[in-house]
Amino acid sequence: MSKTIIDIRSISKVYKMGTQLVHALRDVSVSIEENEYVALMGPSGSGKSTLMNILGCLDTPSSGIYLFNGTNVRELNDNELAEIRNREIGFVFQTFNLLPRATALKNIELPLIYSGVKKYDRLDRAEAALKSVGLEDRMEHKPNELSGGQRQRVAIARALVTEPSIILADEPTGNLDTKTGNDIMKLFQNLWESGNTIIIVTHEEEIARHAKRIIRLRDGLVETDEINQNQVTFS
Amino acid sequence: MLYEIKESIMLSIDALRSNKLRAFLASLGVVIGISIVIMMGWLLGGLDKAMQDTFSVIGTDMLYVDKWDWTGGDNWRSQRIRKDITVKQAEQLKELHGTAEYVIPNINQWATTIEYKGETYEGMTAVGTTAENVNTPVGNLQLGRYFNEFEEEYGSNVIVIGHLVYATIFQGEDPIGKTIKLNGRPLRVIGVVQKRGTMFFDFIDRQMFLPLKKYAGIWNIDKKSMSIGIKAGLENDLDEVRNETIGLMRIIRNLKPNEPNDFSINETKAFEKSIADIRLQVYTVGIGMTLLAFIVGIIGIMNIMFVTVTERTKEIGIRKSLGAKKRSIWIQFLVESSILCLLGAFLSLVICSVIAYLAATYLPHYYPEIGFLLPVLPTELFIIAAVVSVVVGLLAGLIPAIRASNLDPVEALRFD
Repeated sequence: MSKTIIDIRSISKVYKMGTQLVHALRDVSVSIEENEYVALMGPSGSGKSTLMNILGCLDTPSSGIYLFNGTNVRELNDNELAEIRNREIGFVFQTFNLLPRATALKNIELPLIYSGVKKYDRLDRAEAALKSVGLEDRMEHKPNELSGGQRQRVAIARALVTEPSIILADEPTGNLDTKTGNDIMKLFQNLWESGNTIIIVTHEEEIARHAKRIIRLRDGLVETDEINQNQVTFS
Repeated sequence: MLYEIKESIMLSIDALRSNKLRAFLASLGVVIGISIVIMMGWLLGGLDKAMQDTFSVIGTDMLYVDKWDWTGGDNWRSQRIRKDITVKQAEQLKELHGTAEYVIPNINQWATTIEYKGETYEGMTAVGTTAENVNTPVGNLQLGRYFNEFEEEYGSNVIVIGHLVYATIFQGEDPIGKTIKLNGRPLRVIGVVQKRGTMFFDFIDRQMFLPLKKYAGIWNIDKKSMSIGIKAGLENDLDEVRNETIGLMRIIRNLKPNEPNDFSINETKAFEKSIADIRLQVYTVGIGMTLLAFIVGIIGIMNIMFVTVTERTKEIGIRKSLGAKKRSIWIQFLVESSILCLLGAFLSLVICSVIAYLAATYLPHYYPEIGFLLPVLPTELFIIAAVVSVVVGLLAGLIPAIRASNLDPVEALRFD
């Protein structure tokens, strides 16, 4: 039996918007195991971004239990949350979120700097990560010298470099054309096949159909959570 | 943590480079503040050196018994009604003194006019003294020799001139053996005293020394008060020598036990107080200006750091999502504000070095009295400037850095 990485039990998240309380998540329970490939779907306002932030330990739930690799996330302080983000979670964002003034290699090194990896080790690992996304000839390029697809590859390499437990991608193809988007999805499939756990947040069926499991959210509730019988894979 | 600091330094330099003008304007307050600190230190350094020079001119082991207190003293009126110190009293003191190495009577004729080759030169001071004066700081000669006991005894027509007298009258010509006229009396120049003058004592180079007996032949010494130079020999003996001098002078001047001293003991210590006053003034003005400049500087840097934090909100969000702890974020911004201030300090040092060099090299040609200025900044000022600037940087960066580190990662990532 595979290991459970994410285990959330009836969590909810309440925001205050002025004087109004907004229930972004109501009583959501999800469990994700090692080497799953999950698409988190839902229209805007469904709470999927909130859920992603909570899963990524960027935010904490208002109530409920979130066990990450068995650790209760609600009990962690800011520093411990930062450590989990650093070691266990690899983020991939819609807008890439690379540091504009740093080279591709520097961007990838960043999480390793925060985890205190020594310089030579850091360089080796960053280069290997860049190679694994096929950009070994773009190491010294800055983000504005790279195409959208290449930027997203750098971001994926940065997410991979710490060998995290999960890769959390938020609309990773949202800013890319269809062909480049497909290349990125193919990369995710490769990562999944080589044993990574992947969660992709999206509102596009086109993207979600590549995942093995699809969780649909609506109005802060889990609407459906099922295995994708028609998973489309790249050959 | 070291990596983070190193990494932050590289990042900050990069960030500052991409916005040079803004960085320069932001650090302007710091530049001014540190420049004031440096200039103040430079002036005080020069003053201290001038002070040391002055002490060595007067002699740290010398006492002078005078009618007047050199530094003004407490009561000018009571000093004015004092009786003159006569030649006889000076001779008595010399006779009786047991602890002093030398007791040297001096008598000054201020504003003497010299004639040489038909020209007249004004504003010099003739000093009638003994041959033993060669053992005081006046005895350091640039040219020639001092007059000896025989010349003293016979009141010979010889004179030793101060450096400024030499420079004014002879202008490089060999003065030894030349005859100058004082009050119409011819005197043969036998020596030139080394340049000794400082900003506090520029008159000292206008002095000329001749045997007391010769002096008495030119001017009436009965209507003048003597200044008795007493050389203790060792600085440590000064207290003993001073006590004996006071005791003897009271006896010589027939003072009753309840009467105050009707003479003054002058020594270099007396100047330490006036120098301390000057220093205090420089400090007070300087520190006031410095504080003001630093407040302006800190506000400037703080302001720019707030702008930087806002501009880089997204970056902070990205860093936090990658696992940057609060500490990493505030280190980054503190390092940046410190480097900004260090650059300011560097700029100040360059500017001040140029000013100091130019001022010390060229100004004394026009204003000889500021010859005490040092052409190079004292080394400790470099360290002070660096330390002060980093402290200012840390102070100015503190609140913006804390604000940056407290940003909510979700909010920060959403920022555009």
